[in-house]
Amino acid sequence: MIVVLLIFFFFILIGLPIGVTLGVAGIAGLVQIGGENFLTMAPKRYFEGLDLFTFMAMPFFILAGEIMNRSGITEKLAAFADALVGYLRGGLAHSNMIASVLFAGMTGAAVADTAAFGNTLVPAMVKEGYTRPFSCAVTVAGSIIGPTIPPSNLMVIYGSLMGVSIAGLFAAGIVPGLLICVLCMGVVAALGKRLNLPKSKDRFSLMRILWAFKSSFLAILMPGIILGGILFGIVTPTEAAAIAVFYALFISVVVYRALTFKDIVEMLIRTARITGIVFLIIASASILSWWMTFMQIPQKIAAFFLFLSSNPKVITALILSLLLAVGMFMDINAALIILAPVLGPLTTTIGMDPVHAGIMIVLALNISLMTPPVGACLFVMSSVTGERIEKISISLIPFLVVEVGVLFLVAFWDDLTLFIPRLLM
Amino acid sequence: MEKNKQPVLDTVARGLNWLVERICALLVGIMVVVIWFEVVERYFLHLGFTWTEELSRYVMIWAALLAVSCGAFYREHIGLNIVKRFLPPTGGRILTIGLDLISLAFFLFLAWYGIGMTRAGLGQYATIFGITMVVPFAAVPVSSALTAFQIFAAMFRSPEPSTTGMARAQ
Repeated sequence: MIVVLLIFFFFILIGLPIGVTLGVAGIAGLVQIGGENFLTMAPKRYFEGLDLFTFMAMPFFILAGEIMNRSGITEKLAAFADALVGYLRGGLAHSNMIASVLFAGMTGAAVADTAAFGNTLVPAMVKEGYTRPFSCAVTVAGSIIGPTIPPSNLMVIYGSLMGVSIAGLFAAGIVPGLLICVLCMGVVAALGKRLNLPKSKDRFSLMRILWAFKSSFLAILMPGIILGGILFGIVTPTEAAAIAVFYALFISVVVYRALTFKDIVEMLIRTARITGIVFLIIASASILSWWMTFMQIPQKIAAFFLFLSSNPKVITALILSLLLAVGMFMDINAALIILAPVLGPLTTTIGMDPVHAGIMIVLALNISLMTPPVGACLFVMSSVTGERIEKISISLIPFLVVEVGVLFLVAFWDDLTLFIPRLLM
Repeated sequence: MEKNKQPVLDTVARGLNWLVERICALLVGIMVVVIWFEVVERYFLHLGFTWTEELSRYVMIWAALLAVSCGAFYREHIGLNIVKRFLPPTGGRILTIGLDLISLAFFLFLAWYGIGMTRAGLGQYATIFGITMVVPFAAVPVSSALTAFQIFAAMFRSPEPSTTGMARAQ
């Protein structure tokens, strides 16, 4: 067992692609338990790991997000957000947060937001007189709202692997996502005077809000369609994602008239490529997770946690610390696939609702997207804007504190996340 | 001789990747249309079809696994680069070659054992569709061989992995 873990950590550390590392460690595990005979398990697990209908929601949500983005809807949403809060001190920082929320309903992944906003909103903020590290930090902090508010690819993975209702997870993500937005805006407001954040010349104008709302209304409707369809049992999550693609295509082609055939081919290719990267990780991880199941590692880790404490609250705190720590060093998709089978049963043992546990685990991993040294959002922001990771990280601290606060609130107050799923299902 | 070899390898890799990308696009397109059809069928046509789920699942696996080779072409499957940042350029290059070789071995392994799995699939049939499981299983060896080739070709091309690709995957 030790050898497999050593191989895993060694290869991760020296920089082998995570998708390959998981597979190599998994194969080493197969050799360890069954010698050569077990090697035939590897391609089988690699195939079966992907053979889940619900996974299809991921490429569909990616595609829908691509289409919406290409149709110029991002700017319209940003304009609407700006009309809502742009007149405040630190207006662009506030509207950045609101835009993240509006955008969240169209994407399943955080890093797409980071890249899109890093290219558009950060330069706009810098131009208005915000410092670059602060602008980057606001955008990074906001980008984890995307995968917290549904749809969310991590929730699709967790729900598929653990047999937890994806619709329930989606519904449970709404409140934490909004809470992060509100509290981060609180941070901006609190820092406003001290950092001397610029005030926009724009005044509050109801007309402007209505006008911006009108032009982005169809995009804002999309999360409602996705969620409504799933929560009322009309369609499965995969079908809802396909309908999201249809809806995005419809408004891009018919309403905004912004797509050509060539665009569509390009977006399909990009969707496939992004899916390929994530699915390699999923496929390889299922080789390793088969070994972990065989070795009863989930049970052993659960026993260890229960040995440390019998208090559910303490165990929950331990789980959160583990997730945040692992997320610091590992790709979150990989972390989720490896840790979900370990932590899921443990949370059930201590009496947590499966949906509540799922949303807690997903949120913790999302937050780890922005913690150094290996926060994917940080990396992307740094490479898109040219700002140093260290500087962004320092500006990020107040936002991080608030978001970890939300995480603990979510973890210890189940009604906060569960009341919407209970209301709807 | 050696000098001539590289462009040929690169041209083949590029051409192959171009083709695979289009195939992936087509497969993703098919996947979307099949699921649209599933919804329309259930609510309006009532044909009682049940094959849509299975078909789209296998199309998804083919599309995603083929796209893994595109990721290898663009060097989008990246890992940590902490160690590399502290190495001198030569050391970094040697490390990259070493890592590429491990990836290459992994995909060759999958291709080889995948052939075995696909052969065994001859006697198995998909539950609903009645096709032999060779068709879906073949995705593993075919895509793995393709990925191994693209890793091999990339070794002669760019020593620096791109950081932008992975970016979008999260």
